[in-house]
Amino acid sequence: MVLAMGIAQLALTLYGRNVVIASAHEGARAATELGRDVGEAEDIARRTVRSAAGSLVENMDIVVTTTTAGDDTIVRVRLTGRLAAIGPVPVPLSVDVTANSVRPGEVE
Amino acid sequence: MSFPDERGQALVESILLGVVLLVPIVWALMILADVHRAALASTSAAREAGFDAARSESSAAAGEAVDGAVSSALTNHGLAGESATVDWIAPEGLERGETVEVSVAYPVPVVRLPFMGDAGGPSVWVRATHVARVDPYGSR
Repeated sequence: MVLAMGIAQLALTLYGRNVVIASAHEGARAATELGRDVGEAEDIARRTVRSAAGSLVENMDIVVTTTTAGDDTIVRVRLTGRLAAIGPVPVPLSVDVTANSVRPGEVE
Repeated sequence: MSFPDERGQALVESILLGVVLLVPIVWALMILADVHRAALASTSAAREAGFDAARSESSAAAGEAVDGAVSSALTNHGLAGESATVDWIAPEGLERGETVEVSVAYPVPVVRLPFMGDAGGPSVWVRATHVARVDPYGSR
């Protein structure tokens, strides 16, 4: 029984990690889409995690930074949090992922 | 009737059976997690490459946009961009209202060694396709 629950916990942990990775990317990418601004990256990443993983990801913190390289703007989303320990192993795992996206400079 | 020399046999069998069952299940879970991650990355890559290609001014620019979007999506998901196979079809000149189709395929290796990663052998191919329409009214 403990073994089966441990396997389920491992599956949930891997799923949570994948969701966090994908959410950071979604946030970074959305911020560089036409008609959107950088301020939306955090909200989109947070909503993506919540809708896909619910409370599986705890203590979530999202930092969005922008840098310029020539005419381009690089949006970087760093998403950190802890994957809730739902199962027999009472150790919440930390996740820390970073995603980048480039917004090309406007053509004059 | 008791057999003193069989004491502990159930424990040994449970441990052996547990290991024999546990190892393939954990291995399968790890592969499935990688397939899941590759599926998320491939769908993002195809979708974003399609959007970017459909907004490009020329076929050459569209090609660069596809490469950039696929590479960015896969790298952000922790995957090797060079392992992916990317195909895209678009009409010459990217006329308004036409469609751009982008397909991304990524191989997930099935055989992995602890701390060593990919050990060659067969792969599970994850494929994603996105069809984007060139905006019939928007300026480019």
